[in-house]
Order: sequence, then structure tokens, then C-alpha cells
Amino acid sequence: MKTKVIVPAALGAAFLLMGVLLLTKSEAPSPAGAVSQPEPAVVAVAAPEPMEAPAPVELPASTAEKPERACLDCHRYANINTNEGVLAANGMCNECHADPACDRTINGHKASLHVTPEELGKYPHEFVACVQCHADVARSPHQSDAGAQCRTCHSVHGEKTAHAPHLRVDCQACHRRSEVVRLDKTDYRVKLAGVDADGKPVDLSDHRLAEADSEDNCRKCHQADNVVGAPAAILPAKSALCILCHPASLAFGHPIFALAILIGVAGVFLTLRFWLQGSVEGEERSMHRKIDLGAEAVWRTVFSRKFFSMLRVLFLDILLQRRILKESVARWSVHSLIYTAILARFALSLLAGIRFWFDPENPMALALMDKNHGFTGFIYDLLGLFILAGIVWVVIRRYVVKPEHVVTEIADNVAVALIGLLVVFGFIAEGVRITVSQIPPELGIHSFIGYFLSQLFSLSDWNWQRVYPWLWWIHALLGAAFVAYLPFGKMRHMFNTPLTYLIEDVSGVKREKRV
Amino acid sequence: MMENSPIENDAVRRFSVFHRFLHIFVMISFTFLAVTGFSLSFSDQGWAGLVVSLLGGAESAAGFHRFCAALFYLVVVSHLIWLGYFKVVLKGRWTGSHTMIPNATDWENILQNFRYIFGKGEPPLFNRFSYLEKIDYWAVLLGMQSMGVTGLLMWHPEAFSAVLPGYAINIANEFHFHEAILAVGYIGVVHMTATHLTPEAFPLEKSIFNGRIARRRLKAEHPGEWKDRYAPTAPSEGTTDPADAAS
Repeated sequence: MKTKVIVPAALGAAFLLMGVLLLTKSEAPSPAGAVSQPEPAVVAVAAPEPMEAPAPVELPASTAEKPERACLDCHRYANINTNEGVLAANGMCNECHADPACDRTINGHKASLHVTPEELGKYPHEFVACVQCHADVARSPHQSDAGAQCRTCHSVHGEKTAHAPHLRVDCQACHRRSEVVRLDKTDYRVKLAGVDADGKPVDLSDHRLAEADSEDNCRKCHQADNVVGAPAAILPAKSALCILCHPASLAFGHPIFALAILIGVAGVFLTLRFWLQGSVEGEERSMHRKIDLGAEAVWRTVFSRKFFSMLRVLFLDILLQRRILKESVARWSVHSLIYTAILARFALSLLAGIRFWFDPENPMALALMDKNHGFTGFIYDLLGLFILAGIVWVVIRRYVVKPEHVVTEIADNVAVALIGLLVVFGFIAEGVRITVSQIPPELGIHSFIGYFLSQLFSLSDWNWQRVYPWLWWIHALLGAAFVAYLPFGKMRHMFNTPLTYLIEDVSGVKREKRV
Repeated sequence: MMENSPIENDAVRRFSVFHRFLHIFVMISFTFLAVTGFSLSFSDQGWAGLVVSLLGGAESAAGFHRFCAALFYLVVVSHLIWLGYFKVVLKGRWTGSHTMIPNATDWENILQNFRYIFGKGEPPLFNRFSYLEKIDYWAVLLGMQSMGVTGLLMWHPEAFSAVLPGYAINIANEFHFHEAILAVGYIGVVHMTATHLTPEAFPLEKSIFNGRIARRRLKAEHPGEWKDRYAPTAPSEGTTDPADAAS
């Protein structure tokens, strides 16, 4: 008998609950209904504090006009994770900032702090509380020390959309519409300016976001004679091919890089096709059978006891270059300087890219992405120096000392010239970058070669902002040529030699018969 | 450690290298998807906290989950490309007794298998793929589509809620979670027991790893395939080797 009473009661309670839910829901603004919001002022957001010399704003003395209120009307923290909380929190801001007369005086000029719903912009910030971003303004005195915070919700984006130097640029500098930017000499970050060159305040009340991808937006900074230390041209982001030496995205990037990658990949396929011309385990004709039988043989070898002997070859002969060491210590030293340093730069860049992909806010990933970070700047310069030393040694051996057994072919010259020029222009470009971007000595000194060069360059009064894009393009095109050339020229030994070592080991070729 | 003996006369090839490769990829990515996914959904449990901290925090674990999901879907795409290759280059057939397409014989086999289990008949004569293997295959191939769609919805809620109502994200979340439990339950209980806990294979069914199966097992477990491959007197042609027909 009891259950029969409980069921209707439960149903009634459920309907009541649904009714309450519907009622509360209809009060909350929905994205679709936002246009016809009866009180548009309610969703406005407080203007940001001008960035320079934040002085406490005198709140209007005319509080007598405002309605009577209880202490907790202000001294509470609305739950801004709900739409109701956002409206409640913004209502306080709008008491002043919805008023067209809301302004402040900077250097004798009036700057509007009036924020209209139209200027607030659409999705996604329309329904975000003012104090979500302006986290430190709801206090007395009414001022901000930190400015609007983006990264409590958004994570920093990677190399794909912006180069690593943009890690020193505030989000607002690109993503807001204001065109006036400045370099803050206290923390060496590029920020939106509160006042322009003449000391007049800049109107920052327009909260709409800029089209950050458009080139016009980039020209805020990337133009001749800018004050923030940006190169005078807009340079493309790094491509996947740059990951051999620099942290980079896995995108193709600029069409020239895409072409270089495609040529490189095509070269690998042509090589594989050439290898498969011969017969595989007796199969002469069918390519499908050749690949099938070859794959079967590789599979059976890898998943067998030979795996450990392959691991030994991989470590001793390939990673540590034991066979070259047995031939000649000088040759081993030269080769290791170049090869180990490139391998280390590749490993570090790969680590940075992967770590960043998983967690963009990870401090280690950000440190490895940032060229100006102490560790990153130092280690990449040091490894670059190793490569350069190796190349110089090669040049001396091949063209000055000329030992009898060393035969220099055209392919050798091309390989040496490509890597050498790549490193030299890399260092020059780095030096000019440090000169242009006005990195402070305590940061720049870690990139010891780049910093030394930047000091040299700053002796000249050339317009380095215009020079840098040329250097960047020379370095990038050399890099593209290097990657495209990999499977064709001398560099092919990077794949051929380890493979030969492994095959010799697996098929038990005796030392005397090795090639 | 995989089988290391020279090619036994007693073993024939059942899976090509490509399919062994895909299986290993699916195996690894599925395991990591389950570990990261459940660690994030059951975040109030102690073990979940441990796993997430080992992976470098919730954001990182979520990134890892998405990476494995992309890897998993890459396997699905590779398989579909292979199906095209099988049809066009190898001139294979998508339908027929050697393929994954279910047919009336499967229903017969299910009934026959139950009769056999209760001691009332002979074991069913499976073809290249038994009905259990077909269920495994279709569960993964179709399940990956719904897991992929619901996962994408949760990966990019802003983009999708511009087109779909907001509650679609919540529905996707529910679907994704419950289907994950279903998938892990199915793999853990049915797939594992049906492959490894058979007297012939115990403790480990190795044929998907080394691609080989003993002749007597092929004869006993897939008599239909055995008959087609070895019983006819006509020599089999290279490209129509059913070992390639694991569609």
C-alpha cells in the first residue's frame, strides 16, 4: 500500500523540480536570444586598466543616486561559473562602465572607460564575467596590476601559428584591435600601449577580438622602424622540416617548405623502388610479393633473438660510431662533432614538440620552445658550435691537409657547403634577432654566440629590422635545400650506412667482407 | 618474445605483416585509451590519481588520450585504404566465405557451436573467420566510428556547439563513457577468453603476432579455409593467397 502513495508523490516532486529548472533556465540568457536581450547593458564588461602608470580611479562620489544596498551586495563573490553569477558580477561593473560618461584622465586627456555591448563582441566572451579576465580589479583602490588574464582559460599556442619569439608578446597585442603597441622595458614583453607616442590615451574600450591571422593585424608590429623590435617583414611559421634542428610544428608550412619535404619523401620512395628492383627471396616480378616477403623477413628478424644483436649494432656502431673510431680517431671526432650535435638538436626539438603537443602549459615544453630561455639558448648555441667546428675541421682536412686516402667528390663539396652555410647563417640570423628584439643582456647572454654577434652588429647603424627577414629566408631556404637533397646526395649515407650495418649483422657477414 | 624457430613445416601463414602491424597498433592504443580515459572519468579513485600524475597531470593525460585516439583512427583509415588496395591491385573480393561479411553460415555455426558445447553434435566448420572473429571485427570497425564522433564532439565542443545544441556534448559524453565500458568489457571478457583461453592456444594465442598457425590447428579451427587452401589439387596463385584476404 505504501508504494502506491510514494509513486505519485515522487512524480509530483519531479514535475515541481522540472518547473523550477525551466523557470531558472528561462531567466538565464542563451546565445541565440542574446541579440534581443532587453537590457543590453547588463552583459557589458569593464574596460581594461590602461597599462601605463596605473593610478587608483576615483569612484564617483554620487553614490547617493544609486539604490540603497546591503553590505553583501558588493562584498561577496558571485559564482561566475554560472550565467546567473556572471550577470550578478557584471551588474556591479556596469553601474559605472555602462555610463557613457565613465572615463579617466591620463596626461590631461580624457580616456573613455565606457563599454557597450556592441563593443564587447560576440562569442565566446559575451557570457564571461568581467572579473574572470580582469581578475584583480574588484577591490579598493579600483585598479589592476596584472591586466586582463587570458591564460587562466586559454593555453599558449605553438609554433604553427606563431614563432617562438612571440612567447614574449602579450596575447592582447595580437588579439585585440588596438593598433598601438609598446615594448615594456621592465619585463621585455610586447604589450598594448595605454598611451600613444604623443602621450595621448588610447581608447581600449573596444573588446572585440582582432582577426589574429590576417596580415594586416601582423603589421601592427611587423613593419619598418617599429618600436617593439619585430622584423620588418611577416615571416612564415617553421615547417616540419625545421624539426631537424629547431622545435617546430608538424605542419608543411610555407609552400617552399612543403615542396622540399615532398621532394625529400619522393627521393626516399625512389630509393626504395630502386632497392626493390632486385629479387626478394626468389620473387622476381610481383612488387606486392616482394614487399610482402621482405616485410615477413624483417618481422621475423626483429621478433627473434637477433633483436639483441641488432640493438648492440644500433648502440655501438650506429650511435657511437665504433667502426669509424677503429679506422681513425680524427675521422671519428670530425664525424661525431657534426652528427651527434645534429642528433641532439633533433632529439631536443622532438621532445619539445611532443611535450608541447600533450600539454602546452608545461613549463619544460615552454622552456624548450623559448629561444631566449637560458638552457635552450645555451644548449642550441653549443650544439651549433659543435657542428660548425666539425665542418671547419672537414674543410681543413679535405682542402688544406688533403691526406692521400681522402678523395673529395662534388657530392662531398655540396654536403659540406650546405651544412656549413646553414649553420653560419643560422648564427648570423640569431645574432641579428637578438639585436632587433632588444633582448636584455641577462637573458641574451645564454645564447653566447648569438649574443656576441648581436653586440658586433649593434656597432653598425644598419636597419637590422629590414636585414633580418633576408637572413631568415637564406637560412630557411638552405634548410629546405638540405632536406630536399637528403635522399639524393652524400647525405643519403644517414639511412644507407646504418641499414647496411644492420643487414650485415643479421645476415652474418664476416668483418673482412664488409663494405 | 615471439616465436623464433625456423619455419616449421607444421605452420602456415594466417596473417600478413601489415595486419599484425595494425593489430599491435590497435592493441597498444586501445590499452592506453582505456587507461587514460578511465583514469580521467574515475578521477576520485586513488589509482586514477596515480596514473594521471604519472602521465604529467590531467591535461597531459587528456592529450595522451587524444593522441592514442588519433593513432587508433589512423589504423581504421589504413585498413580502409588497404581494402581498396586489396580490391583494385590484388583483385580480391570483398564478399564471400573468406571475408568478414556475415552470412547465413555464421548463424548455423552459432547454433552448431551451442549444440557442441552442450555435447549434442560435432564442432562447427568455421571458415577463414569464425562468427566470434567477425563480431570482434565489426565491433571495432563500427564502434570506432561512434567513439570517434562522440570523442570529436568533446574534443572541440566550441566548434560543434555552434552547429548542434549544447546538450549534444553531454549526450556525446554519456555515449562515449558507456560505450567505453562496453568496449573494454567486451575486449577484456569475450575477446581475451575466446582467443587465449582455448586448450589449443593457452596461455597465449600467438598467431596474430607471428602470423603463423599450426596446420593441424588451421584444419581443426578453420576447416573451411583449410579445405580451400590445401584440399584442391590445383596450385594456388600468389595473389589469391587467402592469407592476404584478412579483410
